[in-house]
Amino acid sequence: MSKSLHPLPILMIALLVWLSCTVSAADEVASSGFGSVAIPRPAKPDNASECVEPVEVMRREHMKFLLHQRDATVLEGERDSKYSLTGCMDCHNPARNDGQVVRYPDPRHFCADCHRYASVKIDCFECHADRGLSRSQQSRLIPELNTGLVSSQTFHRQLERSGED
Amino acid sequence: MKTELERVEPRPARRRFLQGAAALASTLIAPGVLLYISSHATETATKSPRWGLLIDTNAMSEADVDACVQACKREHGWQSRAGSKTDAQWIRKVGLSDPQSGHRRFLPMMCQHCENPPCVDVCPTGASFKRADGIVLVNRHICIGCRYCMMACPYKARSFIHEPLQDQLPVAPRGKGTVESCTLCVHRIDRDGADAVPACAEAVNQGGRSAIVFGDLNDSDSEIVKRLRKHGGTKLRADMGLNPALRYQGL
Amino acid sequence: MAATPRYAEIRTSTARYWGLLILLALIAVIGFAAAHHMDVEGHHITGMNNQVVWGLPHVFAIFLIVAASGALNLASLASVFQRAEYKPLARFSAVLSIALLVGGLAILLLDLGRPDRLIVAMTHYNFKSIFAWNIILYSGFVVIVVAYLWLMMERRMHRWSRPAGMFALAWRLTLTTGTGSIFGFLVAREAYDSALLAPMFIVMSFAFGLAVFILLLLLSFRLDRRELDGAHLLRLRKLLGLFCTGVLYFVVVFHLTKLYGSQNHDFERFILVEGGVYTVLFWFFQIGLGSLLPLWLVYAPRLQNSVASLVLASLLVILGAFAQLYVIIIGGQAFPLNIFPGYIVDSSFSDGAVNTYSPSLWEFLLGCGGFTCALLIALLVIRILPIMPEKLPREID
Repeated sequence: MSKSLHPLPILMIALLVWLSCTVSAADEVASSGFGSVAIPRPAKPDNASECVEPVEVMRREHMKFLLHQRDATVLEGERDSKYSLTGCMDCHNPARNDGQVVRYPDPRHFCADCHRYASVKIDCFECHADRGLSRSQQSRLIPELNTGLVSSQTFHRQLERSGED
Repeated sequence: MKTELERVEPRPARRRFLQGAAALASTLIAPGVLLYISSHATETATKSPRWGLLIDTNAMSEADVDACVQACKREHGWQSRAGSKTDAQWIRKVGLSDPQSGHRRFLPMMCQHCENPPCVDVCPTGASFKRADGIVLVNRHICIGCRYCMMACPYKARSFIHEPLQDQLPVAPRGKGTVESCTLCVHRIDRDGADAVPACAEAVNQGGRSAIVFGDLNDSDSEIVKRLRKHGGTKLRADMGLNPALRYQGL
Repeated sequence: MAATPRYAEIRTSTARYWGLLILLALIAVIGFAAAHHMDVEGHHITGMNNQVVWGLPHVFAIFLIVAASGALNLASLASVFQRAEYKPLARFSAVLSIALLVGGLAILLLDLGRPDRLIVAMTHYNFKSIFAWNIILYSGFVVIVVAYLWLMMERRMHRWSRPAGMFALAWRLTLTTGTGSIFGFLVAREAYDSALLAPMFIVMSFAFGLAVFILLLLLSFRLDRRELDGAHLLRLRKLLGLFCTGVLYFVVVFHLTKLYGSQNHDFERFILVEGGVYTVLFWFFQIGLGSLLPLWLVYAPRLQNSVASLVLASLLVILGAFAQLYVIIIGGQAFPLNIFPGYIVDSSFSDGAVNTYSPSLWEFLLGCGGFTCALLIALLVIRILPIMPEKLPREID
């Protein structure tokens, strides 16, 4: 018994070696035991050349900006900040980028792309609009909204059709 | 001997006194704390504007009230299917019939933006809150969906979202499992201040009429205060002492 | 009589015991699955709506929470009021009260619109909210009763069990006051808005908690074939009768108060005469089956030594409790709010109309799940820990 190697340390070493390989490979393609996942390269907006902060800052800090902004908006009515979620969605508008309705559950959504990669679960879009669609835009898309009631089914069908055009 | 007695004697008496005093203090302090909380809230509200609406029911037809409701739906993207008991209604048309004369009138009914809102008192997390300018809102980020505010509201102003939603409008985030109500078009007020016109007022004040007046109840020169000074206005359920920011004329 | 009672785990391993446990666990799992379904689909699959915002889950939850407070009665009688004859039952009394509270809280939390935000409820407090007080009162109650139970069970700490019992008694009276005040403080609704609801809930807790206690005591003694002398049951029977009378008294005073002035006549007419299902529930189930019949079963001289009559009385008290809470919680919301006194009112939002509510299967399953969860905890704990007295023999004076 004393001469035979215990399997646990061997397993641990194997795990460490495997993990270090994974980390070094994570620059371009993250591989897992089940295959490889491409690093997300979310599409840049075509109406703006730069974000409200450098990309590196946004990548790490955007959630803090948004969290601060959400309380400032709801509690104090501060709506002009450059860090508003509506602002994000106006530029990074997935509907405009590929001409289709892309909602957050779709992996092509600007936010969903990275969040899926980083295994981040958010509930922002259970309430918030997940694409930049101003009120005037929406009114133009759905004339019925200006005249009277439409059922929610019609409402959604028309939104989708308008996105496809 | 005497000192010995003195040292022993006062103890039970003192303990009894202290116990009594502690009990008395706690019963006296508890209501005081509640009063402090409410008076404190009033104080901050008077330093800033207090937004309100004056609704002249004499100047509004049934169609006008319908227009208010449509405008609110369009502005905030809520839908209310006929017959559904679970769909939200931020604003609704109420018909009033006088049992004696049979006279019938219609008015728009929504959150009354109380100065002492019961929904804010009962909310366990503080999600239901009153802004410094008197607008009563639900902070949906910390609303847990307990619906206690709906139990407490004397005006049935609040709705619970019973279904998952999508394609909400950017100005009106709304989501399943939370409570919502009229925001007095807070996004317009934050943008335009005293010049703001809530969607319902915009819909009904066509052609120079002003059936719904928006304004600052703390500003004695504002249109709303002038009209109230001239013709008065009714607070709904005034008996409850909530001091709502919505006033009705013609009731 | 002065001999210290000996306690022992329930030792039964019969198919009956395990079968019961598996059945309870199954119902609990189904209940939690129903809650998950409600969370995914939204509350539109329940009968609750924008007019009747609290429904069947709240009836179950408030029953369990109120009964939890009352289940501690016998422990309080033993340690605070020094009634030695109740001492053998004090431990089970504490265990049952924890189990019932956990079951009730589970229902309440799983019915939230956003149960995933439990952490928000724990970290954001509005101290003017009775709900926020209750979050503290409920979680504090569990901690206090666990400590109390330990002090009762640990011989070296025994002398501390009396102060702990006093603290627990004060805490649970406050807790039930808080639960009653959830409704009592709702000034806008005619059905509530009464300080009487707080003491009424306290007496209700005594009756409901004791009824559940009696049933589980008899069940576990039967399962393990332990000796139980009739004198013990006679005492519990008299207590149950006393508490039922108390509940009936508060119900009568509550409605008399509302009946006296004319402003609440419409509401009283609704509950007592024209309310349809609520009127039937009130007169037939709450008053008839839930109060008068148990009182007769408890006090009828011929039935004094009948165990069956005590079981039936306890079951009827629980049935009446559900009817009473249904009438209070749902009947109270069904009655329309009076926003425009003196007018006939109509709208698309049920203004001026009686609100309708018909519970769906999902919310019923959630309620049952919480209830069986409570029973499951109680039945498991008495198997793992020496909670139950080995026997309750005939007392020698």
